Amino acid sequence: MMRLSGRFRSSLIIGLQGIRARKLRTLLSMISLFLGVLAVVTVQAGASIAERALMSDVELQSGYDGTVVIDVMPHEKSPSIVSETVAGRNDAVSLIGTSAIIGEPGVSPINPGGAPFDQGAWGSTEICDNVGNCVPGPPTGEAIEVVLTAVAGDLLTFRPLRPVSGDWLAFDTVPSLAPKIVINEEAAKGFRDHQVPAEMRVRGAKANMTPQIVGVVHDGDYQPRAYVRQDELTNWMPTSSLIDPNFGGQITVMTSSGSPVEQVLQSRLRGAGAESYVNVVQNRKEMEKQLMLMRLIFLSMAGLVLLIGVAGILNVGLATVGERVEEFALRRAVGTPRTLLAGIVLAETMLTGLLTAAAAIGAGIAGLKIVSMVLGGSEPLLANVQFPWDAGVAGILAGIIAGVLGGFIPALRAAGIPIATVMRA
Amino acid sequence: MNQPLIELTGITKILKGQEEPRTILDGVGLTVHAGESVAIVGRSGSGKSTLLSILGLFDRPDSGSYLLDGQEISRLPERKAAKLRSSHYGFVFQRFFLLKHLTAAQNVAMALVNGQGWLPRRQRRVRVMEALDLVGIAHLAKNRPTKMSGGEQQRVAIARALVRDPRVLLADEPTGALDTETGAAVIDALSAATHRGCGLILVTHDRDHAARMGRTLSLANGVLTETGRVHA
Ligand SMILES: Nc1ncnc2c1ncn2[C@@H]1O[C@H](COP(=O)(O)OP(=O)(O)OP(=O)(O)O)[C@@H](O)[C@H]1O
Ligand SMILES: [Mg+2]
Repeated sequence: MMRLSGRFRSSLIIGLQGIRARKLRTLLSMISLFLGVLAVVTVQAGASIAERALMSDVELQSGYDGTVVIDVMPHEKSPSIVSETVAGRNDAVSLIGTSAIIGEPGVSPINPGGAPFDQGAWGSTEICDNVGNCVPGPPTGEAIEVVLTAVAGDLLTFRPLRPVSGDWLAFDTVPSLAPKIVINEEAAKGFRDHQVPAEMRVRGAKANMTPQIVGVVHDGDYQPRAYVRQDELTNWMPTSSLIDPNFGGQITVMTSSGSPVEQVLQSRLRGAGAESYVNVVQNRKEMEKQLMLMRLIFLSMAGLVLLIGVAGILNVGLATVGERVEEFALRRAVGTPRTLLAGIVLAETMLTGLLTAAAAIGAGIAGLKIVSMVLGGSEPLLANVQFPWDAGVAGILAGIIAGVLGGFIPALRAAGIPIATVMRA
Repeated sequence: MNQPLIELTGITKILKGQEEPRTILDGVGLTVHAGESVAIVGRSGSGKSTLLSILGLFDRPDSGSYLLDGQEISRLPERKAAKLRSSHYGFVFQRFFLLKHLTAAQNVAMALVNGQGWLPRRQRRVRVMEALDLVGIAHLAKNRPTKMSGGEQQRVAIARALVRDPRVLLADEPTGALDTETGAAVIDALSAATHRGCGLILVTHDRDHAARMGRTLSLANGVLTETGRVHA
């Protein structure tokens, strides 16, 4: 123990003397590695931000990984069965999609079928009666059609809808007669570009309603969509007519895996003769191939950059050893074991490698903070970006590997220098 | 008679160069007792430095025996040789081999900071100052070699050789780069070590310096022969 600590302390002193004697060289090798490690950190950060972006876009629409999604085929009984099964549960949410026209009474919407607005008007305008017979209508009025999703349960635990402005639907209040709706960004575009009086027509409702828009969310959907509390909608229409099997519509139940909802719902639907399909969300698995390719590209970039850093350290290390042949011979002459000298060279490069990596990580963290502060406002994905710690680890590993590789050959050479040759006048 | 400090017998060294192998040392014998001083003279290229590097465990003989305190050490593994170099040997060369980025004191301390045992900083400092004092340049402890004269630099090198209190002091033309007067002072510093029981082996071209050693041996044709002895 004493012997080891003596050797260790000796090497510490010799190593520090070496670094101090060659400040400029050390600095130069640090710069090359600094840039290398910074690039690795940046590349890693970029990769994980890109991955996160990709994931969150997919999650936005299909839900978090592991979520059990039950698609229920339209059937006259299915809305009631779904509502009864999901009611009062906090591990499931039901989404019943129908369509709504918001605007002047009797005017056909400018985007029939809930089409995205920037695609222009689809065909000519039509007027449809309650039975669904459509005839060419008067010129376009001020009305837009949205997909109306009646929500029962906490949707946000299954899909990461991002608030853009206002609030999400509050479920803890008494259902209002003026249904509160949260619209997505595409729908918001419609409301912004068209003066739409707030009156909402929903097929099957006893009367037109007056919705209040309480918020805008980013839901990744390209169709204009509005979310409404199911119980506020059913103030105006029976649950059973939320979906008209003749016109289609969508019923989706999201629940966590292992929840009894899956079993209960399926057996009740089967009993009623309604079909349903169960699907477990596996975004990551499905994206794996895509991510693999991206990772491969990023990794090879990082590897290349790291190689440059290693070459820098190697170059400086070799040049330094040539210069230090005399010092090493002298140190061996006074009894310093050559394994110790080899260790010192390694330690010097590893120390510079580690310090450099630490500096580069610091710079990476600071840079990321600045970027997310400056650009975070306009680019939500860059807001609140956490430093990717795997990138930090990769940076440290890169520093150590560069140090070991760059120090290994010099260390071997240092250990092999014959004393007699050098000391001969 | 007491056991010799150093006893070489039949040491040979053959250099395998590009041409045919050349025998540099051809059965060298040498006995040195503690406190004794020996001068080795010889023509340039006769193999004096080669002999010294074998004596100092920098190099190994091709055959022959090397006893230190009666122990055979001619075939020690490098790890043990390094340990012995640290504990038993001190070296002085014609070129001083000081590290120019270190102060005189740090250059001397180099022999203590070598991974062979450990002395705390204060004890190290005491030993270093003692050694510098021994060669008369304690006041230059904080100077760097680049700001010293050749004689001062060589004395730093001697202090470095003495700081571990070696049993054997090996000097290869230590005055070669110095003027006569400075050279004499360096020989004084080396000789002083023999009073403390250290054996001194000095390679020199200077007859006066050789004459100040207890014996003078001459190396020629790979063998060592005695040419002079101060008082019988
Ligand atoms: N590494 C080597 N390779 C080949 N030959 C060598 C090597 N080292 C020494 N020699 C040869 O060995 C012989 C002895 O060299 P050495 O240095 O021991 O002589 P020396 O007596 O110390 O000479 P000087 O008085 O000039 O210092 C010389 O002929 C030299 O050329
Ligand atoms: Mg010589």
